[in-house]
Formats: sequence, C-alpha cells, structure tokens
Amino acid sequence: MSFSDATDEHLVRLALDGDEDAFSHLVTRYQRRLTAFLGQLVGDIELARELCQESFIRAWSALDRFNPKYRFSTWLFRIGHNLGIDHLRRRRLKTVALYRTDRDGGEIELDIEDATKDPLGHFENAELSASLKQAIDGLRPEYRELVLLRHFGCLSYQEIAEFKDMPLGTVKNKLFRAHTVLRNALAAFL
Amino acid sequence: MAISCEAIQTQLAEAGGDTGQLTDEERLHLERCPECCEVAAGERALGLIFANVLPAADPGLELRVRSAMRSTRRRRRVIALLPVAASLFVALLGAVLLGGLPGGSLLALLPVWSSQGWVSLAATLSDWTAALRTAAGATEAVLSPAMLGLTLVVSLLGVAATVVATRRWRRISPWRDTD
Repeated sequence: MSFSDATDEHLVRLALDGDEDAFSHLVTRYQRRLTAFLGQLVGDIELARELCQESFIRAWSALDRFNPKYRFSTWLFRIGHNLGIDHLRRRRLKTVALYRTDRDGGEIELDIEDATKDPLGHFENAELSASLKQAIDGLRPEYRELVLLRHFGCLSYQEIAEFKDMPLGTVKNKLFRAHTVLRNALAAFL
Repeated sequence: MAISCEAIQTQLAEAGGDTGQLTDEERLHLERCPECCEVAAGERALGLIFANVLPAADPGLELRVRSAMRSTRRRRRVIALLPVAASLFVALLGAVLLGGLPGGSLLALLPVWSSQGWVSLAATLSDWTAALRTAAGATEAVLSPAMLGLTLVVSLLGVAATVVATRRWRRISPWRDTD
C-alpha cells in the first residue's frame, strides 16, 4: 500500500516505528489545510506557514504521547490552534499602534496593510476575497471558528465535534446558521 | 412524519448543496419547496468559493520538518543516555567516597587530585573494566550490605530509566478501530 492510500492511523503507526517518510506524508497531506486554518486565525499567511511548521515539529516530538482515542487530524489542528492562540496573546501584548497627527493636532491611526500577508491573497477575484474575509470576520466567534475548521481546515463535521468536544447535532446546527449568514453576506457572488 | 425545511437545509449545508444524501421523500420536498431549492443552490455556490481558499503548498516545509525531526531524535538519544551516566557516576562516587577505589578515601585524595590527581583519575576512569573490577572488589570488602544494596538499586534504576527512555520513542500505542 502506498502512502497516498494509507490512513492517518497507519501513517502514524509507521512514524512511531521510526519511518520518517510516513510522517512526511502526513505533513504533505495536512500542510495546506493547516496553513489555511492558521492563516485565518492569525491573519498573516507567512506567520501561518511558520506556525504550521512548528505544529508539525511539535506533533512529531509528541507522537508517542498521541492518544489514539482521537483522530490525528483533530490532534494536529489542536496543536496548531493552541500555537495560534498563544501567538495572538503574545502579539496583543507587544502591539504598538502607529499614529500620525492631522492638521488639527488629532491622532489618526495609520492603516498599514501588507497584501502579501493576506491569507486569501491568492484569490484571483480580489473583490470576492475581500468580501469573504469581511463575511467571515463578521461571524459570531462561535460560528467563525467552526467555519474555519470546516472550510479552511477541511475537517468533517465529526472531526469538528471531536475537536470542539461538542455534540455532532450542535455542530450541524451552528454551521447551518453560519452558512445562512455567509450566504446572505456573499449573495452578490452566489 | 412531516419533513422540516430546517432539517433538509442543515443536511444541505453539510453536504455542500449535494442532494445525493437525501431520501426520496426529502428530495420530493426539495422539488416543491423554493426556499430549500434556493438554499441548495446557495450551498453549492458557497462550496465553490470555499474550494479556492487553500493556499499553495510550501515546497520547503517538508524538508525543514525532516531536519527538525532528526535533531529531535539526536537530542533524545543523548537524553536517553543520561540516566546511565548518572547512575554510573553515583556508583563510582559512592565507591570513591567509601574508599572503594585504590588510594584511600576521597577526602584524603583531594589535596593530591588538586595537583596531578585528576590526570591519574581520568586514566583510571578510561579503563572501565579495571575500574569496575576494582570497585566491585572494594564494595564487597568495604561497603555495608545496606550501602551495597542502595548502590545496586541506583544503578538498576539508571538502566531501567534508559530502557524506558529509549523504548518510549518506538512504542506503538494501542490503536482503536476507527469508524
């Protein structure tokens, strides 16, 4: 059986036996999804790539402590999520606002954006990208996280339920409501 | 049983607007319900948008992770040997302190070691067989049974810790049957 056909469980088993190629295949399998998820979480694609790399390294280091009661995907996303949250907490402490003074002596915050760091910067339709970002940012936090896990992390409803330790019915219900909000917000593109 | 629009729409949201999972009865409802039809179309369109959110793969990531994996493995090997080194050190120190090694007690040797003693000690330690043989003979003669037992326990603990540390990395956890 090739690595491409192997389940996550099988690859983890091989990795625990010291097979680096098996773990590398897990890296290939999940890197885009984890990067997309982290990109939305931290709002910076380059930082998301760094956090993604760190997540895989931590997963490898702790693989022998991985609880097989859970899926590898949810475990990996939890590592990435925790790293992302930790980073946001640290960044909040270090943030320095940039201001300039207007003619009346008041302060105007400078709006500095780096398009190369936009997690949706690869979208061909910039207008759609901006609207999608706005629509996702406008979601209630409890919906937003589920949308990120579902559509950026590409996790199944069952995996999300496991990740959030939430009943499957609740996940379905919340995602349905989140989709309703998104459909309305993106009506012009649907 | 009556079919609710919300139940069907929830299913459609999960399936990305795909109606293949619906029962015949639900599909019939869908054909007659413009609201559910609209939701199905909206979900399909939303699915197309989300299909493009994944960024390009990072070509260097795998290499960087592999490199980190190797350094982690090297570090673990060193850490795994620490208990053995520690237990050997403790055993030797015990033997030296109690006069088990030739040349009297450690306290008596301290002034000598300060000059050229370190060199001779290093030479002695480099010959492990001789040192251990001497220590074994000395412990029999000098150490009390309690101290001998304690030294043995410390050494065994060191060996056990090494085995645990090295095996842990390769251990395969019992796996559940995934659904």
